[in-house]
Amino acid sequence: MQIDEVVWQVINRGHCSFKIKTISQNFCRNEYNVTGLCSKQSCPLANSQYATIKEEKGLCYLYVKTAERAQKPKELWEKILLSKNYEQALAQIDEQLKYWSNFMIHKNKQRLTKLRQMLIRIRKMRLKGFKELIPIKKKAERRDKIREQKALVAANLENAIEQELIDRLKNGVYNEIMNYNTKAFEKVVGQNQMEDEEEREQQELEEEEEDYSDEELIFDPNDLEEDDDEEDQDDEEDDKRLFQKQTFNQLRRENDEVKDIKKKKPRVQLQYEEEEEVEDRKKQQIAF
Amino acid sequence: MTSVPLVSVFSADDSSKVTAKHIPLPAVFQTPIRPDIVSFVHTNIAKNRRQAHAVNPQAGMQHSAESWGTGRAVARIPRVSGSGTHRSGQAAFGNQCRKGRMSLPIKVWRRWHRRVNIKQKRHAAATAVAATGIVPLVLARGHRISQVPQIPLVVEDKIESYEKTTDALNFLKRFGAFEDVQKVVSTKVVRAGISKQRGKKYRVRKGPLVVYFNENAKLLKAFRNVPGVEVVNVTRLNLLQLAPGGQLGRFVIWTQSAFAHLDKLFGTYRYSSIIKDGYQLLRPLITNPDLARIINSNQVQEKVQPAKTTKVLHEVQKKNPLKNTKAMDRLNPYAKKQRAAAAAAIKANTKGTKKIKKNKALKKASRAAYNKVAASLNDATKAAVQEEQDIKVKYFSVQKGAAQTE
Repeated sequence: MQIDEVVWQVINRGHCSFKIKTISQNFCRNEYNVTGLCSKQSCPLANSQYATIKEEKGLCYLYVKTAERAQKPKELWEKILLSKNYEQALAQIDEQLKYWSNFMIHKNKQRLTKLRQMLIRIRKMRLKGFKELIPIKKKAERRDKIREQKALVAANLENAIEQELIDRLKNGVYNEIMNYNTKAFEKVVGQNQMEDEEEREQQELEEEEEDYSDEELIFDPNDLEEDDDEEDQDDEEDDKRLFQKQTFNQLRRENDEVKDIKKKKPRVQLQYEEEEEVEDRKKQQIAF
Repeated sequence: MTSVPLVSVFSADDSSKVTAKHIPLPAVFQTPIRPDIVSFVHTNIAKNRRQAHAVNPQAGMQHSAESWGTGRAVARIPRVSGSGTHRSGQAAFGNQCRKGRMSLPIKVWRRWHRRVNIKQKRHAAATAVAATGIVPLVLARGHRISQVPQIPLVVEDKIESYEKTTDALNFLKRFGAFEDVQKVVSTKVVRAGISKQRGKKYRVRKGPLVVYFNENAKLLKAFRNVPGVEVVNVTRLNLLQLAPGGQLGRFVIWTQSAFAHLDKLFGTYRYSSIIKDGYQLLRPLITNPDLARIINSNQVQEKVQPAKTTKVLHEVQKKNPLKNTKAMDRLNPYAKKQRAAAAAAIKANTKGTKKIKKNKALKKASRAAYNKVAASLNDATKAAVQEEQDIKVKYFSVQKGAAQTE
């Protein structure tokens, strides 16, 4: 009690590490300050008899400091758990701070009220859920966007897809006729021509019997609708590569499964220089 | 001072153990806190560490520059002689000139150091030591001492024999002083400004000050490498360490023997210091600085007269009592009754409404009479005016006639 005056003079006039000066007001950063303001009455350093309310994990505690323990910083603050019931807590404060200055009692009660309301709000928000505001960081956003684009380019998606499709083609996934980009097909065709001629021959032999069945499969249900296109049957030349047919079939099936496109598919016209197949084609037509 | 008059000495190994209980506090800790003395002494003593420096005396003067004088349509400042270069003819020598020497160039013989009276220095040191024993001051200075078992922190002499830094660190951790060290570590910043190129790269806070006594103590080396921690012998207590920046309340860790030595060092209020020859601790002007408490105490309040109410010398605005009844009443409280009596008397004298009517009739009659007179006067004046006009007319017509005939 005796030193308080001196301490306040030194702290206030001189330097206090907890004091925050603003244009209109002075604040106190000390964690035990009841009001948060820098004034003689509410300075936890300049008052050897002091009390605060602090909240910890949803519970409010009354921290009391007396002159007797002034020299023992470790034991300085006595921590008293306050009742969860608001009125009881107020009564507790009254009891603990009996005969203390009105200022201290009043401010503690005010602080308790404030903290409790804060806790109520927290609980409400937790239950209801709340919109969490996340700041948009321009720099980071910009950076990520650019990196995404770069990654996209670097991934070579088209090439990868192309490869995948070609692999499927090779693997015999597609049996039916597929609608495709003529250029791409020819490219693939060219490739396959180069690579798998032997295979083709073998498969042709093997799958002659399957021709008819394949033809049935080849029969495009969509084509039924198109009466005009019967003329194009002559042009329909697809038996050069039976294994390709198979893959195309598969592709078609897949297409249907996926329910991809209902668009009218243009008749694919294949013209091969080799004329060996003409007879086979005729056979097919007969089979029709 | 409510510094604890008794202090416990803690065991170096276990912060909960107390090796010596209730050692009396040295009288230094009861010295009055005098931030003014400390501030004055600190600002002066801080200058004593300065090294002389100066500006090159020839800087900016290495020209044979001369003023061109008047008549050349240029300022009269000395100008560089010669030709063949941009520099020739340019201004030189002045502090305002580019490439000129500074005004009042710094000389080596500047008075770098300050002497302070020994007594003042000693008072300052004593106050600083006292402040280290006051928890709020140490907290306000910014030390993290919330886990320290006691202030002033006195530990047994065992720590003086610490050789390893790990021992030192563990000791600090045991006594809650490590938080302060951590603060120092985490707030180490690269200094702003050019000093970082001059060997002062980092700004480091002050941590605990460890004070020992025995000259053979090895703890200097043990604590040397702990950031923020300073070690000093009691006999060489330094104000610049006890109150860094002129700010009271350094966190100090005393060894038992150092603590005991303080009485001999500074003396007590009963006897003057042995070591500081003839030095007597500063006595407070007022033993109980809590004025509010004194004034509100029963002993004082008994003797004190009741507070005087404010005296009203005069009204804010003067009111005429002859016209303002309230003002009159203030002056003469009986006036109210007088007025009431007068009013009653008047009322008593008047009898019914007849008199009033009679008065009215009188008024009317008098008015009529007046009007008559006024009317007659009016007529008279009118007649007079008319007469005058007639005369005038006659006169002028006669004149005219005279003129015409001529």
